[in-house]
Amino acid sequence: MYELFTDLGSWLVGSQQWTGGDGIGHRLAEHLQYSLIATLIAAAIALPVGLLIGHTGRGAFLAINLSSFGRALPTVGLVVLVFLASGLSMTPVYVALVALAVPAIVTNTYAGMSAVDPEVRDAARGQGMRGHQVLLQVELPLALPLIMTGLRLALIQVVSTATIAAYVSFGGLGRYVFDGLAQRDLVQVLGGAVLVAVLAVALDLALAGLQRFLFRHRRGATA
Amino acid sequence: MTIDTSWIGSHAGELTSLSVSHLQAALSAVLFGLLISLPLAVVAHRIRPLRGVLLGLSNVLFTIPSIAIFVLLLPVSGLTRTTTVIGLTIYTLVVLLRNTVEGLDSVPARTKEAAVAMGTRPLRVLLTVELPLALPVIMAGVRIATVMSISLVSVATYIGDGGLGQLFTDGFQRNFPTPVVAGVVLTLLLALLADALLVAAQYALTPWTRTRKQRA
Amino acid sequence: MPHLNRRTLLGGLLATASVPALAACSSGITSLDGDGGGGSGGGSSSGGLTIGTANFTENQILGYLYAAALGAAGVKTDVRANLGTREILIPAIKGGDIDLLPEYQGALLHYLDPKSEITEEGEMQNALAVALPKGTQILPYGRAENSDVFAVTEEAAEKYGLRTLADLAKHNGKLVIGAAPEVKKRTVGAVGLKDVYGVEFKEFKSLDSSGPLVKGALKKGDVDVANLFSTDTDIKAEGWIVLTDPKNLIPGQHIVPLIADRKADSTVRKALARLGTVLTTPELTELNRKVDKDKKNPQEVADTWAEAHL
Repeated sequence: MYELFTDLGSWLVGSQQWTGGDGIGHRLAEHLQYSLIATLIAAAIALPVGLLIGHTGRGAFLAINLSSFGRALPTVGLVVLVFLASGLSMTPVYVALVALAVPAIVTNTYAGMSAVDPEVRDAARGQGMRGHQVLLQVELPLALPLIMTGLRLALIQVVSTATIAAYVSFGGLGRYVFDGLAQRDLVQVLGGAVLVAVLAVALDLALAGLQRFLFRHRRGATA
Repeated sequence: MTIDTSWIGSHAGELTSLSVSHLQAALSAVLFGLLISLPLAVVAHRIRPLRGVLLGLSNVLFTIPSIAIFVLLLPVSGLTRTTTVIGLTIYTLVVLLRNTVEGLDSVPARTKEAAVAMGTRPLRVLLTVELPLALPVIMAGVRIATVMSISLVSVATYIGDGGLGQLFTDGFQRNFPTPVVAGVVLTLLLALLADALLVAAQYALTPWTRTRKQRA
Repeated sequence: MPHLNRRTLLGGLLATASVPALAACSSGITSLDGDGGGGSGGGSSSGGLTIGTANFTENQILGYLYAAALGAAGVKTDVRANLGTREILIPAIKGGDIDLLPEYQGALLHYLDPKSEITEEGEMQNALAVALPKGTQILPYGRAENSDVFAVTEEAAEKYGLRTLADLAKHNGKLVIGAAPEVKKRTVGAVGLKDVYGVEFKEFKSLDSSGPLVKGALKKGDVDVANLFSTDTDIKAEGWIVLTDPKNLIPGQHIVPLIADRKADSTVRKALARLGTVLTTPELTELNRKVDKDKKNPQEVADTWAEAHL
């Protein structure tokens, strides 16, 4: 046990380990790239859907059950299926990651919107605000904390799952996990796993920071 | 991409046994997850400083890729079903622990105080008052953990287990979409079925939530 | 609603530092040898045995062929298909998760003794007997053979003037090789190509064992050299050129059963020896084709062949 840890230490600090095509620096950058692209695509799809369902109140059943469906989808199967249908590219990986992230964002966005006090909404309408004004100026700001929760949750899941890219020959930190499995090199697997966890936590902290920054602004504006 | 429907018919037996094995792994994990998370949640609920540590620990475990967990378990439990179940259990803990703690937190302090005032012993309060009242939130966690587990079993295909997940690696190696489609559909069906059964179980287990709703 | 709290996440990160340790602390377990008692004899297959197979088609077919041969001899078996690489399987047979494994002479020897330079089949058997982990043994090797080969497309062969593995060294730092991840650290792989032929690749791409990834990459030109199996029918179908091996880096790869001493009784030996003498390379290649191309079940294909030939 001690040995695996000292080995992990030397694996992490080894200088040749950080440079080059299979270096940690490059793998980390790839992993970050996959995760951010997938989460951005997912947000671009899920945010409008979640906001629309929350605003109109139509499709609530879908919004609530979508997250359960998303959790049930086996990522490995989805990656393989899209790979067989479309050939070797990053598409299978992105499809699977987006499918994973969309439900979390839709459900949380909807939850945030439905938590907005109906009286506040009515008051805004009473003041003569139009539908989109109510949505953008009243509902969205109030729903923002839960929306951010959804985004953070989605991002963490995507970072953890982006490991799968290595299964279909691509890079990212999953390379260490899959190569380590094939070579039975547990230090490499552990190293990859730790780096994924650190990246997930770091990104979560960054989003939490962003969230606080946004709120401070809003408080300043309303004061 | 064409689907060979005759393959599905001629492999019904194999598909059934893979589904059973799949479900068995997922449900064992949820069961062990519950056995471990219930006492931990009680501790986390009572002792505040431990709460942050326990919940934080489980949250970080959640960020570790499942495939890595399975591989890192190889020296402990080898290429066995045990490895699959331990790995999945770790994931169910994240959800079960959090929901059980939240469930216990949701029990109104006055209710507990009333029970204590009536002379009920602490363990009894926990078993007959707190846990039943926390049940809806705990059951929500059980549902999430079950569906998640059913989906995650397939990752264990990389260590030679994985129930329906074996159809994914097989289809991949042979460039054969039919088993993959069958695997995805069956996984979704199993998840749906398990979730529906849990909803029914919760309905049966918590009659008081129904009467309250009817009154309202 | 799952909600990840920032503070608990950080606290957890610190606390988790001790968790992977749990996974690692018993890494000694798998090195405990099965109590096979060393030498031959003493084993018994009466309780049935578990056959493990690696993560590629042919090995699975061989696993089911072993099962069919043993079944005909009245031995109960359980086949665990697609368990992973040799690096995963050898510890598993030592640890007792599996009892029998279809192996390949040269590749197994190089795994156990990377410095070995033996290539003659009989000598390899002797060397294997010495190098094998305690509690395991190999049975006589069969007629059928499946070598690792390094192949290039016809265009690449012409463009770079590639005929032999030695020719690869003329383009050091320029070519990309695609192979299964474990091949990066194997003698019959990147390590041996460098030591024996002085070949240095621009990049090693981790793909799969003669599977869709490595063949797709070779076809698309994403890799210049691909590590394939000689029994893969796509080599001929695609017109790929197999580089010759003048310095005998790649040893003979006759198929050989690796078995735990605890299960190796005379019934098992006889049944597997019979299979080994009957199954030929062309037949094995054809069985591979049936599974990979005709999408037949490995078990079905193996059973049908065994019924007709054993």
